Amino acid sequence: MNRIGKSAVQIAILCGLAFLSNFLVAQFSLPLPGSVVGIALLFGLLQLGVLRLEWIESGANLLLAELLLFFIPSAVGVVQYRSLLFSHGIAILIVVVAGSVVIMAGSGLLATQLAWTRRKS
Amino acid sequence: MNSLPWLSLVATVALYAGAKRLYTKRPRIYFSPLLTVPALLASLLLTTHISYDTYHSGTQWLNLMLQPATIAFAVPLYKYRHLLKKHAVEIIPSVFFGSVIAMVSSAWIAEGLNIDKQLVGSLIPRSVTTPIAMDISRLTGGVPAVTAVVVILTGILGSLLGPLVIRYLKIDSEIARGVLLGTSSHAVGTVRAFQFSPTTGTVACVSMILAALITISTVQLLLPVMI
Repeated sequence: MNRIGKSAVQIAILCGLAFLSNFLVAQFSLPLPGSVVGIALLFGLLQLGVLRLEWIESGANLLLAELLLFFIPSAVGVVQYRSLLFSHGIAILIVVVAGSVVIMAGSGLLATQLAWTRRKS
Repeated sequence: MNSLPWLSLVATVALYAGAKRLYTKRPRIYFSPLLTVPALLASLLLTTHISYDTYHSGTQWLNLMLQPATIAFAVPLYKYRHLLKKHAVEIIPSVFFGSVIAMVSSAWIAEGLNIDKQLVGSLIPRSVTTPIAMDISRLTGGVPAVTAVVVILTGILGSLLGPLVIRYLKIDSEIARGVLLGTSSHAVGTVRAFQFSPTTGTVACVSMILAALITISTVQLLLPVMI
C-alpha cells in the first residue's frame, strides 16, 4: 500500500477509537471526555500489544502535525461574541496574559527546582 | 447559497496550508497559523455577512477530527513512557501546582478587574483542553461556549508567551519546558513544545492530560476561595 493509503487507514483506526471512546463514555456515564478515554484506550492497546506502533504511527503523526487546523473553526467562533469582546476584551486579555505567565513561572520553576533537588540527593 | 459551506471548508484548508508555509519560512509569532487564519476568516465572515452557522456547517468535520487527533497523542506518550515514568516525581507535583494557580489566578485577576460572575466562571477552566474546560465551565457558573473561545485564546497566547517566559527565566530542562507549556496552554502549547524537541512535546502532552484530570477533580474544592 502506498504511503497516503496507509496513513488514511491509520487515521480511520484513530477515528474508530474516538467513536468507541465516546460510546464507552455514554454507556458507562464516565465523568471524562471521550478524548481522554481514547488516549488511555490507545495507550493500553499499545501496551498490551493488541495494536502495534507501526500500524498507527504515521497516521497519528500526520494528525498531530496538522492539529492546529482542527482548532481553526472553533477559533473563528469568536465572531459570535463580538459584543463581549468589545465590552470585556481588554479585561479578558489581561486575565489570560497575566494568568498564563504566573502559571508558566510557577510550574516551570517548580519542575526545575524538583529536578535539581533530585540530582543533588 | 448551498456552495457556501463547501467554500468555507476549502477556504479554511487552503488558508491554513498557505499560512503554514509562510510560518515555516518566516517563523514569527504573529505569523502563527492559529492567529492569522482565524483572523482572516473572521473578518471575511463579517465583511461578507456570512453567518457563523453557515461557516460552521461546512467546517464541522474539521472540528470532529480534533478528537482522533487528540487521541493520537497516545503514540508519543507510549514511545516515551519510560522517560515519563522516570520523571514522574517532577512532572506530577509541578502540573498540580500549575493547575491550581491556573484556576485561582484566573478567578482572582478577573474579580480584581470587576468582571461579572458568569464571565469569571467561564474564565476559570481556560487552561485545560476544550471538552473538559466546557464541562468545568458548567460547574463554575460559566458559559461553555464562551469558555471554548477563551481556551483557544489561552492556547494561542500561551504558545507565544511560553518561549518568552522560558528564555526570560532561563528554563533549560526539556522536562520543565514541557510542563510549563502543557500545563498553561493545553494542546496548542503541546504543538509548540514539539517544535522544541520530541521529549519536550511528550512531557507537554502528559502535562496537558494531567492538568485536565487535576482541574476537573479539584475545581469544586477550590470554588469557595475563587467565587
